[in-house]
Amino acid sequence: MSLISTILFLPLVGVLILFFVPNWKTQLIRRIALNTSLLTFLMSLLLWIEFDSSTARFQFLETVAGSHFGETAGFSFSSLNFLFGVDGISLFFIILTTFLIPICILVSWTNIQAYVKEYCIAFLILESLMIAVFSVLDLLLFYVFFESVLIPMFVIIGVWGSRERKIRAAYQFFLYTLLGSVFMLLAILLIYFQTGTTDLEILYCSNFSETRQIFLWLAFFASFAVKVPMVPVHIWLPEAHVEAPTAGSVILAGILLKLGTYGFLRFSIPLFPFATFYFTPLIYTLSVIAIIYTSLTTLRQIDLKKIIAYSSVAHMNFVTLGLFSLNTQGIEGSLLLMLSHGLVSPALFLCIGILYDRHKTRLLRYYAGCGRTMPLFALLFVFFTMANISLPGTSSFIGEFLVLTGTYQNNSFVAMLAATGMVLGAAYALWLCNRLIYGVIKPHFINEWSDVTRREFWMLAPFVISIIWMGVYPEPFLDALHCSVSNLISHGM
Amino acid sequence: MLANFRDESLMTLSPNYKTFLFDTDFQSLFPEIFLITASIFLLVYGVVFSTSKEKNYPLLLTNVSWLSLLACVFTFLLLVNSPVQNALLCYNTLVIDDFTTFLKGLILVSTFFCVFMSLDYIKQESLNAFECILLILFSTSSMLFLVSSADFISMYLAIELQSLCFYVLAALKRNSEFSTEAGLKYFMLGAFSSGLLLFGCSLIYGFTGVTNFSELARIFTGGTQEFLTTTTSFPACELGMVFLLVGFLFKITAVPFHMWSPDVYEGAPTPITAFFLIVPKAALFGVFLRIFLESFYDFVLPWQKILIVSSICSMILGSIAALSQTRIKRLLAYSSIGHVGYLLAGFACGTIEGIQALLIYLFVYVFMNINMFAFILCGMRRENMQTVPRIKYITDLAFLAKTQPILALTFTITMFSMAGIPPLAGFYSKAYLFFAAMSSNLYVLAVIGVVCSVCSCFYYIRLVKIMYFEAPKNWCSFSRIPVENAVTLAITVFFIVFFMFYPTPLHLITHKIALTLCL
Repeated sequence: MSLISTILFLPLVGVLILFFVPNWKTQLIRRIALNTSLLTFLMSLLLWIEFDSSTARFQFLETVAGSHFGETAGFSFSSLNFLFGVDGISLFFIILTTFLIPICILVSWTNIQAYVKEYCIAFLILESLMIAVFSVLDLLLFYVFFESVLIPMFVIIGVWGSRERKIRAAYQFFLYTLLGSVFMLLAILLIYFQTGTTDLEILYCSNFSETRQIFLWLAFFASFAVKVPMVPVHIWLPEAHVEAPTAGSVILAGILLKLGTYGFLRFSIPLFPFATFYFTPLIYTLSVIAIIYTSLTTLRQIDLKKIIAYSSVAHMNFVTLGLFSLNTQGIEGSLLLMLSHGLVSPALFLCIGILYDRHKTRLLRYYAGCGRTMPLFALLFVFFTMANISLPGTSSFIGEFLVLTGTYQNNSFVAMLAATGMVLGAAYALWLCNRLIYGVIKPHFINEWSDVTRREFWMLAPFVISIIWMGVYPEPFLDALHCSVSNLISHGM
Repeated sequence: MLANFRDESLMTLSPNYKTFLFDTDFQSLFPEIFLITASIFLLVYGVVFSTSKEKNYPLLLTNVSWLSLLACVFTFLLLVNSPVQNALLCYNTLVIDDFTTFLKGLILVSTFFCVFMSLDYIKQESLNAFECILLILFSTSSMLFLVSSADFISMYLAIELQSLCFYVLAALKRNSEFSTEAGLKYFMLGAFSSGLLLFGCSLIYGFTGVTNFSELARIFTGGTQEFLTTTTSFPACELGMVFLLVGFLFKITAVPFHMWSPDVYEGAPTPITAFFLIVPKAALFGVFLRIFLESFYDFVLPWQKILIVSSICSMILGSIAALSQTRIKRLLAYSSIGHVGYLLAGFACGTIEGIQALLIYLFVYVFMNINMFAFILCGMRRENMQTVPRIKYITDLAFLAKTQPILALTFTITMFSMAGIPPLAGFYSKAYLFFAAMSSNLYVLAVIGVVCSVCSCFYYIRLVKIMYFEAPKNWCSFSRIPVENAVTLAITVFFIVFFMFYPTPLHLITHKIALTLCL
């Protein structure tokens, strides 16, 4: 058992144990789940420590199932490579996943009372699947894991979501994602049909004709654009976010949005360099539209979660902008921005979750003056909001700055348009802060006065620490990224 | 000439073949012979004891069912341990090879499960006609013959024996109007389609003078061009082939000829519906694959076109019509039409990958449907007593997640698998199919298939939604899960979930079979 398969299977071991724990021992179930996920997190930190940042190769290579068994003609799942490995690009996504899952279990320590066991099982399975998505080195298996995330997510939104509209949200989430990604399946089959393999490292060395590249790129785009989300297909996201339970939003914002951009970086850019060049204007246009449009949309939302959700869309489109700038700054910046967004946005969702637990509403008009009643909460919330608008010193600043630099080198006009997003971002975030934290308390609506509990504080503290760490000293992250990214660029171009 | 040909082909086919009928033909027919003998014994046993006054006219249905299960098991064992693996039997009318063995195994297994999971239903509904089990056994043995038939005559006879059993089975509940209507409709349309089939056979026989598949293959080999130039009967043969195809599409409920199936599937008693839905598909696909790939391979262009059209229509109708269904059996009927569309897509490829994908899909389809019906056949208890103790409408599933969480989870997994969501078995079978379609350049088929599978997701997930999120009008809960159904559910769910970890055996087997069929 090498490190990577330990990390992959540890959550499943937890699931196995949970199956044998009786349903009514909820506290025991939560403890088991929390400990398993914490252990997984520690193991993934070990992955980072042992990571060799001086090479662009995939490391910790591990064949999990019996591969190369059926050496037969034709298409065969048994000749698939169950090959897992990590490089600089996927390393931090794995760590981000394992970092967020314990928090998801912790956040529901008291407020999830129904189906606790199923809840924990769903999250642990989700964790295992997401680690697999980020570490698998086979195109078809990537698709398999990418899609199978849908099932636990559908259940999480549908079962533990907050309102009646949740079913509609779960549906939308499911069908949007599925419709997008089946075209990717066809593209993968076409790739297999041409090259005879779905092994990623071999595919990196193969060439596709220009017309075919364009088709394949579009098919992949259909899938990733839904996940990112790009502008015409972003509607599922606010719905799913608003209706999901807090932990569901954390995972959605923290990891699932990264799947699309990770897919762009891992597959679209290196596999189809010609089509990537060809479609760069499309991506730029869509991203800029998304940044401006969703930032403006955010201004008129009254649902707290929708505000954060729309700001996620804006940030993720910054990421795509950076990815398709196709230079080192841009791509590294967008990777950092993904990581940073994976910290900031979940933290904000956790804050909203804390408010919702107390007052059972997410409508902004009922809230005011939280700074008086919940000073510690106000402090944390303002901090995360500042991180969200990428104040220098927080992690988002590094990311957005690098993205804008990278884009500027490529296309200054686009960079200028995208930079307006920063202004608009500040507008909606400060507006939200102002309405929520300051002002006169509305005691008719808000009559339960309690600040963050100890559990909630410790849940949020790691976010604060890592946001500041990334903002002040991003070297360790950039070091690990650098080799892989520059290899990717030199390879593709 | 005929004898020469037989000897020659037998030499090549089976190393241990001796030309004596009683030596080898009967030896290789052991499974069929055993099954028929067992059914006749059961018939005599049932008739004698159910009318015996000393025993106080016992109800023998359960007893006979268990015995018939045993018969299925023994037949399966005989089939697996058959001494002859490859042979042409009974004066070239029957053939045995890996392909037939696989399909016969599949038929026996699915029959076994169909009877096994209806045991409780039978008891609850007091369906006191042990003949129905015997009819199932007889139709199973006819399907075994159907799979291995290598001649139009044996094929037609086997189809007819099977269909006659089915007509009676559909109309089993004499006191139910639905069931009678189903039986009548099934009979009318089944007889009509058999007529088409027979007309096709006779056209081909009339213009070639041959009914044997391999001899037809010899006549048609060398390309249609040569055949066209030497004889004038090519269009007639093509017409005959189209008739055959139409009869076949009728039997498997593919789209332009599907209209009977929702009514019949809904009207027939549920165990019989399960049997109709699951078992005959394997047999019919078996024999028609053989005909079209062996005999009519040089007519590939016309039959491929027809199959493509039918496949596309089936996929579209299966995914759209099921959206508006409220009764669960009707919904399943339409969903099975959709699945037939996918199967036909594999057929339409006509390549080794296509056949392999078809067989894998068939295998997975059988297991998923067994799972579905094992679920539907569980008895229910309703809050404000109504007459029907079964799931009838899809809204009856409401809040099952509260009353029977594990059962609901099982059903959810099956639904996701039917919809083709990745880690489950249903996804693998669909992906194979799409790959096969793309590798034979049927891109349109692949794209439409993919879109339809997303559409069909919608109603599969709706069932999940109803089960988990919808408040019921009247509460119904399953009174208890019968042991047999529980076992069936467990086995099939295990298969569906863990298929992805070790798909190799199925893949290798189907590949070998596709090779035997195509080479």
